[in-house]
Amino acid sequence: MYGATVEPIEDIRTDEEKLAEFEGRIARGEKIEPGDWMPDEYRRQLIRMISQHAHSEVVGMLPEGAFITRAPNLRRKLILIAKVQDEAGHGQYLYHAAETLGATREEMLDALLSGKAKYSSIFNYPTLSWADMGAIGWLVDGAAILNQTMLAKCSYGPYARAMVRICAEENFHRRQGQDIVITLALGTPEQKAMMQDSINRWWWPTLMMFGPHDTDSPNSAVLIRWGIKTKTNDELRQTFVDQTAPELMALGLTIPDPDLYYDETNGHWHFGEINWDEFWNVVKGNGPCNAERMAARRQAHEDGLWVREAMVAYAEKHQS
Amino acid sequence: MSDTHASDTQWPRYMVLHQEREDKPHQHAGTVHASDAEMALLNARDVFVRRPDCVSLWVVRADLIFARTQEELALNPDWLDNIQATSDRTEAYYVFAKLTQKAQFSHIGEVEAENPPHALKMALQKYPKTQGLVWWVFPVKVVLKSTPDDIAAMFSPAATKDFRDQANFHALSVLRKLMRDQKQEAE
Amino acid sequence: MNAELKQALIDYLLAMADDELILGHRNSEWCGHAPILEEDIAFANIALDEIGHAIVWYELAADLSREERDIFANRMVYFRGAPDYRNTQMVELPKGDWAFTMLRQYLFDQFEMVRLEKLAQSSYAPLAEAAAKIRTEEIYHLRHTQAWVRRLGLGTDESHRRMQTALNELMRYYEQLFSPSLADTLLFQANMVPFQTELMVHTLELIVPFLVEANLIPPRGSNFVGPNDVIYRHEHTEHLNDLLSNLQQVARLDPMAKW
Repeated sequence: MYGATVEPIEDIRTDEEKLAEFEGRIARGEKIEPGDWMPDEYRRQLIRMISQHAHSEVVGMLPEGAFITRAPNLRRKLILIAKVQDEAGHGQYLYHAAETLGATREEMLDALLSGKAKYSSIFNYPTLSWADMGAIGWLVDGAAILNQTMLAKCSYGPYARAMVRICAEENFHRRQGQDIVITLALGTPEQKAMMQDSINRWWWPTLMMFGPHDTDSPNSAVLIRWGIKTKTNDELRQTFVDQTAPELMALGLTIPDPDLYYDETNGHWHFGEINWDEFWNVVKGNGPCNAERMAARRQAHEDGLWVREAMVAYAEKHQS
Repeated sequence: MSDTHASDTQWPRYMVLHQEREDKPHQHAGTVHASDAEMALLNARDVFVRRPDCVSLWVVRADLIFARTQEELALNPDWLDNIQATSDRTEAYYVFAKLTQKAQFSHIGEVEAENPPHALKMALQKYPKTQGLVWWVFPVKVVLKSTPDDIAAMFSPAATKDFRDQANFHALSVLRKLMRDQKQEAE
Repeated sequence: MNAELKQALIDYLLAMADDELILGHRNSEWCGHAPILEEDIAFANIALDEIGHAIVWYELAADLSREERDIFANRMVYFRGAPDYRNTQMVELPKGDWAFTMLRQYLFDQFEMVRLEKLAQSSYAPLAEAAAKIRTEEIYHLRHTQAWVRRLGLGTDESHRRMQTALNELMRYYEQLFSPSLADTLLFQANMVPFQTELMVHTLELIVPFLVEANLIPPRGSNFVGPNDVIYRHEHTEHLNDLLSNLQQVARLDPMAKW
């Protein structure tokens, strides 16, 4: 994991002893670091989660990247390029965290491009107007922050640390999204209509980002026991609605949910049922942009092949 | 895309060691994939110096770092004892250690040694008070470093990109005021 | 400063700004499509810097025109048509493959370095100060693109072939960067800007040996033929129309709206 070692040193504890010690550390809130013993299942779950997260950041560059060239003023253009650049950076940190667990970037990329690995379904929706840059920043990144803030307490050190770093940058992303939404909502009638249309399209997919109901989430139990996950899907989803709905409504925007209302009895915003057919359909790969996103990533990868090979060839010829 | 070229790689990994201020030690910031050290240094600057302060950046190919954990050393005390110097042909090695669970690897100092295990032995002798959970040693000569001249060209510009500054998003104060006004109206 | 000189300086600044803006725009098209993740990050930085530099030049022109900086810069970018843009044709060409992009970037970066060094001595203080500051960012750009050009030139047969093809294409456009305009003469006489021919000589002295070392041979007889073949900066390829219709699409929905 850390590179040049001479010969492995024998660890003579039994698997049971190691597991007990491992779970003890987690219970005490200690971080597990690269090189520490860990159950295979823990390693496997983490590689899956972290690489999926990394893939999401990388694929997530595409929907917003499509609007960089059309950003309507210079400041927005700079901010959007910086945001997309940050996403690439997040992907980079996350691939690194997965590498500390023994995954290689070649394997992870292969899994993504062959369709074996998943990435966040939210990026399988198209960006159709400039207002979508606002919706993605406020809603999608807002949802991501809730998720990531929870993951920053994750028991695996490199992932927790990556989350802290990413959350700090993600706050800038949400701010810029809010700034766009507010500007349009309080702008011309056409701008407000553009923003409303955007909210109508992104609201439900954002709620779907938090995943299935807790009762339908098979991995949750072990993830919680091993300190990988500390809050449930439904808890996070509720927090998101409570935070976001009133602010959007204050701007004169409506939420496309006829069942949405504030429940005085528990202080939460009650919301309608998610269209689970759509959810599972998109997860399975039939969302509006799944094919397009993967095609773009494959194209970039293929187009880059001669470049990667050339750089390696140069390095081999010029080894000092 | 499962039939990738055997020669198509994502390039080797380089550890990036970052020094925030002159009076602080270099610390492990992360890794970059690069085809050689020069590209690694340039990419490290782009990946890790977009916001934070930096006066120096080092990159070292990951597979050239020799690592041992405190646990591994404790489980096999004979291993260290069996390392002996055999000649005078030594070179300088950097020593980094991870001091606590939460901390990143941090630059401890330098030793002269014949080979990586010897360097680790020398480091443990030279820095007996340092409680490293994990130790790294690697030859000074395999590190590519930014120079002091690079500060102006490579690092300082990040500070001027203030469009990331959250204080520049005025619309938010508009929203807060709106919500306050609406709340007042309701009351 | 008399009116004629002032206008000449505004035009000069706009030309520099337009070059940076269009090139930065082309570079930003790579976001999410670069050959490796580290380059998505690195190249986005270059795009950000260039657009940032464009803004610096637009703002200096705004000051001279006694207009508000933000309004002026955005009007220049979003509400001029192709015939009013003053960038060179080289920067408006589509991004091509990675070889084309890197080589174009290198050729532009080296030219800019040479020019900025001279501009840092300008008798017009705001220009000298801005040039000095921008030059420090350009040092890094040049280092980055030189590293790439060298490696792709010497890498594999394929990378070499692509680079040589790119060079053959780009050299046809390169000389336009050195074409002087009438306004330049006035500015040169006032010690505000360098003499274009001097820039050309100095730039070629730097790029030719560098390219040759990277096994890239500048095509013979193609370049720098003389003032009769000058392509004026208001003459553009059809690529600029396509670029601008995309760039300006959202802003032009409503010129009065704030975004």
